[in-house]
Amino acid sequence: MNGKEILARLPHLSEVETIKDVPQLTHALFPGTHCPLMGAAMAVGGIKDALMVIVGTDECSYYTKTLAMGLENFGGPKGRCCSVVLSQHDVTFGSTEKMHNAFKEIVEEYKPSCVFLVTTCVIEVIGDDYDSIADELSRKYEIPVLAVHTEHFKCEDHFPGLERTVTACFDLMEKTEQGKSVNVLGQRMGNFATTELYKVLKDAGVEIGMQLPSGTTLAEIKKAAQAKVNIVVHELALPLAKKMNESFGTPYVYFNKFVNPDKIMQAYTDLFKFLELPLPKEITGKFMAAKGMEKEIAPSLKGITYIYGNSPFACFEYNAYMAKLGMIPQVIQSNHLPEEAGEDIANILKFVDPYIVKAANIAPLQYVYDECKPYVYVGHEFADRLRKKGIAVLHADPAGRMQGFEAVMFILGNLQKTIEMAKEYKKEATK
Amino acid sequence: MSLVRYLPNPSDRMGIIWTLLNVEDAIVLEYGPAGTTHYSMGLYGGLGITVNNKLFTTHMSEDDVIMGDVTRLEESLIEIDKAYNPKVIFVVASSIAAIIGSDLKGVCNYMQDEVKARLITFEGGGFRGDYSQGTHEAYKLIVKNLVKATEEKENTYNIIGASSYSYRMASDVWEIQNLLSETFGMKMHACLCLKTNADKIKTMSAAKLNIVLSNQGLSAAEYLKEKFGIPYVYAAPYGYSATAKFLEDIADVLQVKPNSGVIMRLKGKASGIAGLGMMAMMMGKRKKQIACIKGEYDNVRGLSAFLEEAHIDVPVQVSTHSIAQVEDAGNVKHYADEKEWLELFANAKDALIFADDIALMQADESNTKVTFSSPFLKSTQRATHLPFMGEKGADYLLEIIESYYNR
Repeated sequence: MNGKEILARLPHLSEVETIKDVPQLTHALFPGTHCPLMGAAMAVGGIKDALMVIVGTDECSYYTKTLAMGLENFGGPKGRCCSVVLSQHDVTFGSTEKMHNAFKEIVEEYKPSCVFLVTTCVIEVIGDDYDSIADELSRKYEIPVLAVHTEHFKCEDHFPGLERTVTACFDLMEKTEQGKSVNVLGQRMGNFATTELYKVLKDAGVEIGMQLPSGTTLAEIKKAAQAKVNIVVHELALPLAKKMNESFGTPYVYFNKFVNPDKIMQAYTDLFKFLELPLPKEITGKFMAAKGMEKEIAPSLKGITYIYGNSPFACFEYNAYMAKLGMIPQVIQSNHLPEEAGEDIANILKFVDPYIVKAANIAPLQYVYDECKPYVYVGHEFADRLRKKGIAVLHADPAGRMQGFEAVMFILGNLQKTIEMAKEYKKEATK
Repeated sequence: MSLVRYLPNPSDRMGIIWTLLNVEDAIVLEYGPAGTTHYSMGLYGGLGITVNNKLFTTHMSEDDVIMGDVTRLEESLIEIDKAYNPKVIFVVASSIAAIIGSDLKGVCNYMQDEVKARLITFEGGGFRGDYSQGTHEAYKLIVKNLVKATEEKENTYNIIGASSYSYRMASDVWEIQNLLSETFGMKMHACLCLKTNADKIKTMSAAKLNIVLSNQGLSAAEYLKEKFGIPYVYAAPYGYSATAKFLEDIADVLQVKPNSGVIMRLKGKASGIAGLGMMAMMMGKRKKQIACIKGEYDNVRGLSAFLEEAHIDVPVQVSTHSIAQVEDAGNVKHYADEKEWLELFANAKDALIFADDIALMQADESNTKVTFSSPFLKSTQRATHLPFMGEKGADYLLEIIESYYNR
């Protein structure tokens, strides 16, 4: 495999308009992206009294159940996840009757308060109408049954599974009088109670309501419309926030895991404006500290090349900020090109026009490293393998559990250390 | 099967893939959505199989599904052939590819001229049965497509039917190698399918004997017998007597004399088992000795026979996979409905249980529990020298049996 040939096939960021314009690095992928079914499992896992019923092949069920058994919040080996496995007969004659029979057992054994019927690729191909089946079961057993569709051939990775599950929760919500609490929408990892944003809200006397999907209950979802404002911490929750805004008039603040201190400051300002509370003084202090650190570190970032794989941050916002600080993204891997990213993309293009390619294909990346010779790789890779090529891996995962200026401070500090390492590795690699 | 509370039985497709991944210098290419491939890495890693640079996916978009476009597959084949230079590319259909009727064989037929690697297709997509069907198909297609005639015979044997999914199979294979080395001075050639390679498979016909450890390997062994005249011995040797008989059967088939010391040693140990029940009675241990087993069919039968030799009744004998192809399965049953076998283990009292971790979880603490089959959740599998089969396996099992007697 030839790195030059691979790069020659890739478009630059300025040349793409939709995700369809973004190619895979190679035709054969390893390991490939995560499945939306996994995304749905991650989301249902966070809804404490919901049962997940997978409707799919034994293989889809096997892997998802294995995942659920490993996640504490699913409640152990039997837990809140079961499956209705499709056979060749179901593919030919439909799965409706089988689902009805299985659901009777489910209700008897699990006594669920709420069920997510999560369908997989096969159901979407054979065309069984699980929206109607869910409605029928809901009426028959008088419990909410929500259909979530997770066919992977229509989407790129696991995020649509999270998004659809979270959005499906809208049907559980009831119109109610607005209170003073906030909902946190879209947090995938970690405990919100350990974040800077949580502490700021608590110190300001703001009550936290529904935290979807990081940890909530059916009762909290039902009264989610009580919130004064929704805080959207990942774009996967934007469709739900927009629906809640339209139906209940709940405003939302887009407070993604930003890395640019100016954006974080703006998000805090918007949030406290909606809360009709003064902006806490400590926010300004944290903002100044982040800007101070940025000023201190910026000189060491100038001209440092990197390849972006993945991170807990919003992809284009992260790269726009790094480009602004003088770093050079050579290749950006992303499975999404959302409209909301337009401004950030324009900001990247002011400084540099990197290659863009779909993510989760690390096998052929080895050849790209040899051509690009970056200092840093942002994302999940085999650190030892990269060290031999003079590249250091930036570990950004802990930022997944952060929200606010803490994430900027963490990543800038970590970046500085990573660059120092990368310079050492470069020397080792050229010896 | 309708509701599945724990893990469903792995499908034929899964069995095919974990079998093929054991062939070094070959690559498995899945034609289907990428998520399944990524998801599967956890299972294969847990079975001790390396997937790096071995397993690839084409992914599949809505356009491919609607229009039946196979360009991704064609380009992936060329790319993998050029980049990794494998001897074989196994092309495995996903459930979607199977449902929409993608003609993988047709594609691979015309693509064969474009690549150096041998292309072998598996089109079932996971709907032809459980994993035993898949391993059966994989062994059969591997030997039919890859084994070539060789001029000279070597003092070697092949093992067929050693599945990665079978708990402690690497240890069992290690034990069989030791036994055949000590008894006949023979070495193993290829093992279908634990850590073998395309060259060893190609030259399987040089072996004097095939040892078939599971029912799923019989068709492949029959084919090799018909095509290359290689005889086979079919056994999962559990316990001293069965191991001695296994070695004697090999001696008969090969018409050679075994190392009599090994046979005598095994028979000596076997005679010690016969008195076990009597000894227990004399020592006042009058409790009824009962065992429940869940595992792969041949292993369940082999272990049951050994336990019965040790005066333990085995009323519950459950095969993890379908046994529809087995002519006389004895007392072994397979339950398509998970609920039935869950109840059997939930009702076990004061029994010696050999099963997978999910079945073991159902049984209360009055029972003596041993992980014997997959899936294993709490247990792990690192050692390659702790068999259940053969002499050393029987030594270990006897320790468990004696400790159960002494409870």
